[in-house]
Amino acid sequence: MVRKELILMVRYPVNFIASFGQIFLIVAILSLGGRTFSANLDNPPPIGAPPTSGNPSGVVIYGFILFMFLSDTLWTIGYNVRHEQVQGTLEQLYLSPASKFASLVSRVANILLWTGLLTLAASGLMVLMIGRLPVENPWLGLYLLVMSLAGTFGIGFAFAALTLRIRETAQTMANLLQFVFLILCANFFPFSALPPVLLRISRLIPLSYSVDAFRSTLMNYPPGYPELAPISVEIVIVTLFGIGMPFLGYYLYRRAEDHARRSGSLSSF
Amino acid sequence: MTGTVRVENLSKTYQVRQRKGLFKSFRSTVEALKGVTLEVRPGEIFGLLGPNGAGKTTLIKILTTLLLPSSGEAWVNGFHVQRQENQVRASVGCMLMGERGLYWKLTGRENLEYFGALYHLSPQDRRQRALEILERIQLGEIADRTVETYSSGQKMKLAFGKALINDAPLLVLDEPTNTLDVPSASELRAVVRDLHAQGKTIIYTTHIMSEAETLCDRVAIIDHGQLLALGSIEELKDSLRRDQVTRIEGVIPSRAVAAVKRLPNVQQATRTSADSGDLLTIVTSDGHEFLPQLIEALTQTGATIKKIAPEEVTLEDVFIAKTGRTLAEDTRER
Amino acid sequence: MTATSPTLKSNLSIVLASARMRLATISRYPGQLLMDIFIPIVFAAMPILLGRATAGPDAGENFAQNTGTSNYVAYMLIGSAAFTIVTYAFWHIAYWLRWEQETGTLEALYLSPTHRVWVAGGTALYSCLRSLFSASAAFLIGSKILGVNPFEGGVGLAFLFILSGLIPIYGLALLFGALVIKVKEANALINLMQWGVSFLMGIFFPIAMFPPLLRAIALLFPPTWMTNGVRSALLGLTYFFQEWYLDLAVLWAFALIAPLLGYWVFTRAETSIRRNEGVGQF
Repeated sequence: MVRKELILMVRYPVNFIASFGQIFLIVAILSLGGRTFSANLDNPPPIGAPPTSGNPSGVVIYGFILFMFLSDTLWTIGYNVRHEQVQGTLEQLYLSPASKFASLVSRVANILLWTGLLTLAASGLMVLMIGRLPVENPWLGLYLLVMSLAGTFGIGFAFAALTLRIRETAQTMANLLQFVFLILCANFFPFSALPPVLLRISRLIPLSYSVDAFRSTLMNYPPGYPELAPISVEIVIVTLFGIGMPFLGYYLYRRAEDHARRSGSLSSF
Repeated sequence: MTGTVRVENLSKTYQVRQRKGLFKSFRSTVEALKGVTLEVRPGEIFGLLGPNGAGKTTLIKILTTLLLPSSGEAWVNGFHVQRQENQVRASVGCMLMGERGLYWKLTGRENLEYFGALYHLSPQDRRQRALEILERIQLGEIADRTVETYSSGQKMKLAFGKALINDAPLLVLDEPTNTLDVPSASELRAVVRDLHAQGKTIIYTTHIMSEAETLCDRVAIIDHGQLLALGSIEELKDSLRRDQVTRIEGVIPSRAVAAVKRLPNVQQATRTSADSGDLLTIVTSDGHEFLPQLIEALTQTGATIKKIAPEEVTLEDVFIAKTGRTLAEDTRER
Repeated sequence: MTATSPTLKSNLSIVLASARMRLATISRYPGQLLMDIFIPIVFAAMPILLGRATAGPDAGENFAQNTGTSNYVAYMLIGSAAFTIVTYAFWHIAYWLRWEQETGTLEALYLSPTHRVWVAGGTALYSCLRSLFSASAAFLIGSKILGVNPFEGGVGLAFLFILSGLIPIYGLALLFGALVIKVKEANALINLMQWGVSFLMGIFFPIAMFPPLLRAIALLFPPTWMTNGVRSALLGLTYFFQEWYLDLAVLWAFALIAPLLGYWVFTRAETSIRRNEGVGQF
């Protein structure tokens, strides 16, 4: 798999460069947008200066990292099913003895590894641009990241189940879901910015706690962070999310699969 | 030459990059066409046969201006393919991409009307033409459904209909009966015959020998970029004497085929499957005088012979003689 | 009924047919047009919410010190709307041949006697209509949701800047389209280009924040002038050359040069592809 990725990297250099460049640009645009609200824009702190509390760059970047993983998982699993439907190969996939689950998991694992590398590189670039990012409590941060990823796996499978049912509308739904999560899970801004109505909805979404706990931990709990609940409670929620959601997602996926096989809709798109 | 299509010494080379490992690559040259010269006469159905990679598609693409040649010249309906591209395009109806050349989110009718617009038909003419074509290809009932809901065969029919939109004097049809069921293929061939009867010139590519034999006035066989044979079906068959072709049915292991190939005067020996086992088709240069040697070579290498049948030369025999393989084999390899 | 010789009328008919074809296609993707309106609003909301959260009640005042206006909502919405226009231009024009190839219709297009510029014109018309609709709707609805008046300032002048900016943007997209058909990694390239141009045109911040060299590069891009022109017209900000007609003149100069340059480069790239690999290899 590594060799395959290396080959792709060399043969498609633009793709490789664009992946990094795109992330850098998106984060730069949002960070600079946030900085226009700063009081001391004419005298910004020097590059490499220690971060201030609730460093907006930390809020943006760590939220962005989780968003990228969610987005990639959602798309890779859900869209993968859709792509097979359109190509007409979904039925063929089911005719083979290979485990569909294993096939999906292996594809997602590849993507996640690549996304991980990209986010590391993008973070490095951002540090060069806007100053040191806080990276405290790395092991707890890693644990929270892994649990969040496991949970997003489950969301991906649940979405794949939806794709089997609603077919083409699923593509639009994926786009919509991404942006809904972007706002409700406050990936690019603190939860305090959300109106009360939306904040109430955010509190019902486990992924919100993932975002809040992850960035609060890496920023070493500046005043006001975490925002939704005490960190111990958030760690429990994220753990339950990471363990329970994959099972739920897979269960929904198998149910949708069985329904498609019973109704004969595997081949239709 | 005064044909509808004239090709003079046409050649096409490609530069391709071949990769070895992670960082190494080198460029090589592929000669897709080598000095092809031919003519398609007005009003005939001209068959183009050849294995995959033979150069048929390259030739068709040059004639339809999709590709520029490396050297040589060609004229279509009197227009030069490089200097008068738009006139060439306006005077040719093409079915090259099969079901892929359609907009799947548009209905069958919308597809035909859109392509009619691209051929500069007025809005009224395009609507009328689309209606006529839909009736002719029997897709009238599903004309207002999006193409993504059509079956493969229906898409192929619509693609064929698209080739008729500009009512061109020359039609280029690349495997038009591919994926069609037997009745639909038969209907389409009937339409092709009708168009031929109306005086249209048709260049027809097919992998089905019987189709080429029944439809085409003349056939060109191309392989490795070169024109190997050109003539009417009868002329091509006559080029192989009847007794140069022998067919043997039985159980014929690989070592037996190899032994036959080593015999002197055997030009080609090709084994295919038959209902009763294997079928070995042998093309020789000295008729059936070598039959005793042949039987000895087969029986000594474990073959069981059920029937020896020197049969009438078919177009497939000519194809095998010229290219060394059957079209059926070549299609299976795809 | 053999194909007739092209006339201006028949070529314009092709432009309309091509635009109609693309509109019919997109209308058959359920919910897509709603997403076109929703996404720019969400995109603009992110820096707004981030800024409000970090600056608190001083948000408007700080923003005014840095940009010249306290109406940060309209500022971000305008930027997001401009981004929509640029993105659509890139994905519809620069990606146009690749879209036809993915659909499988590229060769069919080249087999017809119609010059590609007319079909591209139809695609550009479609792109204009779709992006103007989405950008306008997003701006109006976003203003309503976030509680600002969208009709402050010179609306007519803002619209003039948009229309003047469209032509050079499409020229730029055609120029990038040449790069796309040569390099072939279309998706990656267009993603990078659209974000690159968006960064340079300062969709969420003034380009005065850039170091001098980057600022000079940003001013070479027509969308930068269009975005600043719209903001200045609606929010009373300063034009780059102090007067609106001078900034507009620069946009018109771009409108003359960019399409011609884009077309020339594109046709050269196209011919070189046809010479070697053929149309199907785009």
